[in-house]
Amino acid sequence: MARRGGVALRWSQVVPPTLPRSALGLGLRVVHYDYLFEHWPPLDYLEIISENFLGAAAPPRERLRRARERYPVVLHGVGLNLLGHEPLDEAYLDALCRLADLVDAPFVTDHLCWSAAHGVSHHDLLPTPYVPELVDYAAERASIVQRRLDRPFGIENLSSYVEFEQSTLTEWEFYSRVVKESGAWYLLDVNNVYVSSQNHGFDPASYLDAVDFSRVLQVHLAGFSSEPDGTLVDTHDHPVKDAVHSLYRSAWQRGGPFPTLLEWDARIPPMPVLLAELEKVRQVRA
Amino acid sequence: MTRGRAPEWLADFQERFGSVITTPLDRTSGTLTARTDRYDPAVGALPGPRAPAEHRLAVYNRQYWFRLFEVLQFSFPLTTRLIGHWKYNALAASFLSANTPKSWDIDRVADGFEGFVARVRPGPELGIDSDAVVEAAYIDAAHRRVFRAPAVLAFRPGARDAEQLLTARLVPSPAMAILHESWPLLELRRTLGATEGEAPLALPPRLAEPRHFALLRHPEGFVTFPLEAREAELFELLLRGRLADALAELEARCSEAERGSLPERAQRWLARSVELGFWIGLETPQQSTQL
Repeated sequence: MARRGGVALRWSQVVPPTLPRSALGLGLRVVHYDYLFEHWPPLDYLEIISENFLGAAAPPRERLRRARERYPVVLHGVGLNLLGHEPLDEAYLDALCRLADLVDAPFVTDHLCWSAAHGVSHHDLLPTPYVPELVDYAAERASIVQRRLDRPFGIENLSSYVEFEQSTLTEWEFYSRVVKESGAWYLLDVNNVYVSSQNHGFDPASYLDAVDFSRVLQVHLAGFSSEPDGTLVDTHDHPVKDAVHSLYRSAWQRGGPFPTLLEWDARIPPMPVLLAELEKVRQVRA
Repeated sequence: MTRGRAPEWLADFQERFGSVITTPLDRTSGTLTARTDRYDPAVGALPGPRAPAEHRLAVYNRQYWFRLFEVLQFSFPLTTRLIGHWKYNALAASFLSANTPKSWDIDRVADGFEGFVARVRPGPELGIDSDAVVEAAYIDAAHRRVFRAPAVLAFRPGARDAEQLLTARLVPSPAMAILHESWPLLELRRTLGATEGEAPLALPPRLAEPRHFALLRHPEGFVTFPLEAREAELFELLLRGRLADALAELEARCSEAERGSLPERAQRWLARSVELGFWIGLETPQQSTQL
């Protein structure tokens, strides 16, 4: 289908945009550039936060262009607002398509959540009640996004801190039905599964049981923090916990290989520490 | 546009949940705490194995505010450190309550904050001259604007451009800003990384005379160039109008003693500004009409 008029702009690239199924990647953040451009560490791919590169600012784009010369780059968004009650933001989608074309992204992902409503952007990944009528709505919107992007679109499960009395489906039933009905893919965040399982008191293995691993586009790993009352919060500011590694091993045994990415967004350690964290992941699945 | 409509209840649910997470935090205890008693129970949150429903909602409430405070602190680092994090967050909360974020681009939550600071004029309650705080906010805003500018090519005039220079308008580079300081705030901003903590920084003594700079974005980062006072005036006039008008206005402002040397100085200032990349083009009256 015709997505939009005009010719897609694409940087000339040195490495092809394809990822091996066992690829190990890293979430690219501003603090990484100096090390990256000096050492070019052996990463299979990088993931960028889409919104950080959708604007016109030249410095982020120039750094991204340099990074893309050496690594495949996938896009991970936080602003799609898939479960928002308002229509999808067409200008946002256009900009996302242009960025995906520019870096020739193997795939694009965002979250099964809402982030804006009634004209206010909350800049957070917010949950909803899980009910069948919302499955249809979310699936149609995800399907539209995937067609517009003209490349695989992955939907990430949330870390959540609250559940709602209106829900009639479990989160994993809701998630899997949206993925199946939309024809989109899973971006399965194993840390999020673990965090939510502890916050809501479910068995994370039940979650993995519901996942069709033939539709897993990518897996995310990250660290979490604990609130004084014991609530786990997906802060991306710690190493991946042992319990999450165990769950990841279980996922790998059920449906690996799949591209796996480490996210670390706050109190980010030096790159060698991150590379060692990725090596741990490699050993966990060996 | 999607064909499918959202379920009827979704807009109502998101309005209620939105009001929970944007509930202002309480400052009276000396730390920022969630006012869980103000949450709308109709949002339907359930208690969990680790926390009651209102504590679970409070995670989102705190995240909303702390995330936005962090963005505003990052966007206005000098202003933040000058008045300290506690006061700054209070200022940011007032700003955000009146200017709720609307864009998916989180950096845009800071749009217009310098104007808000200029209206509120914080500082005296902390023993800081409010003019210095406003000046700091404008310096931060200029850095933010210059950083966010798109890639541009500098204007390199040709022979034909010289003929129409006087009647045309020089188009300023979005990656350039004119700055003024009455305190050595640019130097303070450059050294922020060397100081830690959230308490207000000591404001250095006021300068004997204001200083003026051009701020430019270069591949290696921000670069500042000192400007003479009249030079800065000329460039600010050029941001608003044609070269001939700017020169006439500047001449009118000058003393008799200054006027004699003004043509030579203005020519030197303009030549240097072109060389440094202050401009990206020349807009002739004809082009202006077309626009």
